[in-house]
Amino acid sequence: MTEVATPPPRILVIDDEPQIRRFLEISLRSQGYGVDEAATGREGLERLATRGADLVVLDLGLPDMEGHEVLRELRQWSRVPVIVLSVRASEAEKVRVLDGGANDYVTKPFGIQELMARVRGLLRGQGAPEDAAPVFDDGRLRVDLARRLVSLDGGSVRFSRKEFSVLAMLVRHSGRVVTQQQLLRELWGPDHVHDTHYLRIVVAKIRQKLGDDPAHPRYVQTEAGVGYRFVGEQGPA
Amino acid sequence: MEQRRPDPDVLLARVAAAEEQERRGKLKVFLGAAPGVGKTFAMLNAAHELRRQGKDVVVGLVETHGRAETEALVSGLEVLPRQRLDYKGKTLEELDLDALLRRRPQVALVDELAHTNAPGSRHQRRYQDVEELLEAGIDVYTTLNVQHFESLNDVVEQITGVRVRETVPDSFFDRPHDVVLIDLPPRELIERLRQGKVYVPDQARAALQSFFSPSNLAALRELAMQTAADRVDSDLREYLTAHGAEPGALIRRRVLVAVDGHQHTEYLVRVARRLAERRNAPWTVAYVDTGSRRTDHDDLHRAFQLAKRLGGDTVILRGGKVADELLSYANRHGVSTVVIGQTRERPIARALGRTVTQQLLGKGARFDLTIVNTPYSRMRSRRLLEREEPWPERLREYGFATAILVAATLLAVVLDRLLPVGGLGFVFITAVVAVAVRSRRTVALAMAVLCFVSYNFFFTEPRLTLRITHGADLVAVFAFLLAALACSQLAGRVRGQNVALRAANEHTRALQALGERLAAAVDEAQVFRAGAEELSAALGCETVVLCRDGGDAVGLRAAAGQPRDAELGPRDAAAADWVAEHGQAAGRYTNTLSASSWWLLPMMVERGCLGAVGLRFPSAQERLSEEQRQLAEAMVQQVALASDRARLAADLESAHVDSETERLRTALLSSVSHDLRSPLASVIGAASSLSAYGDDMPAADRRQLLESIRSEGERLDRYIQNLLDMTRLGAGGLKLQRDWVGIEELLSSAVTRLRKLFPAVAVETRVAPGPPLLYVHPALIEQALFNVLENAAKFSPPGAPVVATAESADGKLVIEITDGGPGIPEEERRRIFDMFWSAARGDRGRSTGLGLTIVRGMVGAHGGKVEALSGPGGVGTTIRIALPLPEPPRPDAQEEEA
Repeated sequence: MTEVATPPPRILVIDDEPQIRRFLEISLRSQGYGVDEAATGREGLERLATRGADLVVLDLGLPDMEGHEVLRELRQWSRVPVIVLSVRASEAEKVRVLDGGANDYVTKPFGIQELMARVRGLLRGQGAPEDAAPVFDDGRLRVDLARRLVSLDGGSVRFSRKEFSVLAMLVRHSGRVVTQQQLLRELWGPDHVHDTHYLRIVVAKIRQKLGDDPAHPRYVQTEAGVGYRFVGEQGPA
Repeated sequence: MEQRRPDPDVLLARVAAAEEQERRGKLKVFLGAAPGVGKTFAMLNAAHELRRQGKDVVVGLVETHGRAETEALVSGLEVLPRQRLDYKGKTLEELDLDALLRRRPQVALVDELAHTNAPGSRHQRRYQDVEELLEAGIDVYTTLNVQHFESLNDVVEQITGVRVRETVPDSFFDRPHDVVLIDLPPRELIERLRQGKVYVPDQARAALQSFFSPSNLAALRELAMQTAADRVDSDLREYLTAHGAEPGALIRRRVLVAVDGHQHTEYLVRVARRLAERRNAPWTVAYVDTGSRRTDHDDLHRAFQLAKRLGGDTVILRGGKVADELLSYANRHGVSTVVIGQTRERPIARALGRTVTQQLLGKGARFDLTIVNTPYSRMRSRRLLEREEPWPERLREYGFATAILVAATLLAVVLDRLLPVGGLGFVFITAVVAVAVRSRRTVALAMAVLCFVSYNFFFTEPRLTLRITHGADLVAVFAFLLAALACSQLAGRVRGQNVALRAANEHTRALQALGERLAAAVDEAQVFRAGAEELSAALGCETVVLCRDGGDAVGLRAAAGQPRDAELGPRDAAAADWVAEHGQAAGRYTNTLSASSWWLLPMMVERGCLGAVGLRFPSAQERLSEEQRQLAEAMVQQVALASDRARLAADLESAHVDSETERLRTALLSSVSHDLRSPLASVIGAASSLSAYGDDMPAADRRQLLESIRSEGERLDRYIQNLLDMTRLGAGGLKLQRDWVGIEELLSSAVTRLRKLFPAVAVETRVAPGPPLLYVHPALIEQALFNVLENAAKFSPPGAPVVATAESADGKLVIEITDGGPGIPEEERRRIFDMFWSAARGDRGRSTGLGLTIVRGMVGAHGGKVEALSGPGGVGTTIRIALPLPEPPRPDAQEEEA
């Protein structure tokens, strides 16, 4: 029985700078992805609607539409994962688009590998985040989401209920950023969306227990003003 | 009682007043009918009570007059040492106001409210000191006898025969205050006097007997009770008004009192005040200035000051006829009652029904007329008042009259042959009129009579006698006399009106001149200079303008009239500080700090006092006329307003500039952020791609990435160059190194660079053959051309070429670059050359916003112009650059030949 090769994932790049489109296209193609390009928001939406894509790389600074406008329109009829490219200064914008439906973001200028990691993370997580592997194990840290157990270097570590919930959410979205608001809303309730100090305390505790140095984090990375990201590479399962 | 809706304005005033009250100290007056009833004693007792309640009470100044029982009460209270002042070799003690202000107790005791301070004190009167204490929020207890009320002064005089000089103005009591009536039956008071327990100043011993008679004391006691009761009554009235219970009381009718500055003016003012008080009505004191020189200005000024202290308005009306002016004013200002005193009534005027009283009665039927009978009906002689005429002036007038008389007589002699006797009257009439318009009425009158005599004596039969034989001559001559008298009066009145009008004119002209200069002033310094100069010119004084320099002290801002000293002395500077602090006038001609040689007026505007204007008059000028005072105040007010306006305008300007600067800075930041980052992102992205996946990609891709890195790096470089150009242009550091160069060279170089960036865009160049050479800095003009071409290329859709033309016209080289793009709307065509302006059409992120600005800068530096126009046929945009063409160098004769 001949195996039908699954077609390579298609990535749609929406950016008005031709040079950026060029190196993205070349790099993605070299890694085996199919690439479509669009230079404006309108064009991007059109291409997505007609040809579809498995992932969208969207630049925020488009000439004809604001990034979050494109996102809003897109989200009305598509669940395709979206990575947003943004300039470092606009954190509020980042939070806004992440809350508005984007799945991750990368700040310009960026190295290609950073983007690749995010692309891979998102494509891997296709299906639903809920279906993600119930256990994270990279050889040192093991997080069992189903049985609510954490062990580090073989020794079990006690986590409080809240601490585990936060860690679990980050691990489920491994590689992707989870906004503070998202964490607060889901784990503390919609009334506490602005109580970021709770979150900060809990994350500090988690780091401490994981032996993570916040200046050089191994597992829990802070995205200043936006949220947190779990950056563990799943080892051989 | 039917409740009406309270008047909102009254309520608002009440709220404001209530807030004021909270801040200010409260006044409690211990009122007595006569000295010795025990006011100070009662006050001290009250102070002890307060101390027991724990309040901070300090004795500012209490006169015990050596009475043991009083002194006993003082001990036990904190007493502030008195201020010692030296005056004419004697040491006098007064209340130390500054020390008391510094000490800031809750309650201060200040005895004898009506006392006059020794010279050298800050204020002339103690009640002014108390006012300052109240302003500072300190409560004050004080004592007062009923005869010290200003408005009761004449009533007390009537009762006791003694005129009290030290009075406290009624307006002082307009603020809320408590009155404690200290009552002692007259018999007991006389008993105390006999026992020596009552303090009587030495000078008054003589009047003692009459003053302390039982009937006097009884009358005074009743007056004191009535006054205390009145105070309560007015409080009640205020309450009623605020709650709308007395509808009638809310409609006020003004009382107008006419003074003529001749006599009893102050008495009239007080009467009017009592009348107005009774009706709870506003009142005005009016003086009609007919130009008569018989007015006693001192008297008038004192009366006006009195009126202001008692809470009335003052006004000076100008015109020829007193009654008419009064009635016209009364009509305009809602007057219901006109009060006048007994006027000097000349019998003739009365016979003709022309006295002021009669005129008012006749024409002013709508008004109530009150004629006040003045107590002493002795009328002052007119001649007394005329004494102020300087002698040389009068001699001159008589001399002039005499000369005219002689001339007229001689002329008449000459004309005697030609004209009948009756005709000669005209010569003399002319003489009378000539004198009347230039002299006072007495002189004019005298002239009329003398002319009559001369006429009669020299020209009527029989000659050289005063008898007249012909009936016709008699008629003619007496007719002449009547005519001459009438003429002299008329001419005199015209002259009077002239004088009055001229004064009014001066006043208006001074204000107008000041107004014009202030309108033209653009900043505060000019305002002050204009103000100082106009004040000096109008009033004939030295002027300085002092303004707060931020901090408490005032600094000199402008001076005019050649002041003798450049800076104010320390005492005068302190006075100026005080004026700026309190917003009240001080210095010479006022009651406060009157030892200063400057008259200091505050510059008041809504938000407070800006500073002070100082006026110094020659030391010989002992007092100011009312007109001068009003003119000075009006001018200072104008200066204050103009200065405030100038300050606000400057603030607005700087706020505007600030916001513009802010806008540019924001634009710069966002431009840098985006336009530097984008090429960098490409460079880093491409480099990291090569580094990470270079092996996985075909060679062609690798080459493309390397090419990307290079071209984006160059783009970055261009952008940085743009920024540097901008800073150079801005800082004026652009040094032109000119050279002779042809436009076609520059254009071709620019086009070549463009082709590298936009290979797909077609560029057509059309240069008219043999254009003259440009004398410019080649690199800069080439950069300018490149920027324009780049702009055009960005906008041109594919297929539409960019067209560049160059030709000379009118001594200029005109270069036009046209694109076939969407064009620029008319209102934006000038703004595209502004920094960071990008036409919002599909170009965000591709244009740095600086390109055209640089073009404008570089072309401008060469003396050229650049503008944007609509393209041919309304399609696209044409950028036109015009550069001046100098004379080209003549090639060497040798070269030509060769």
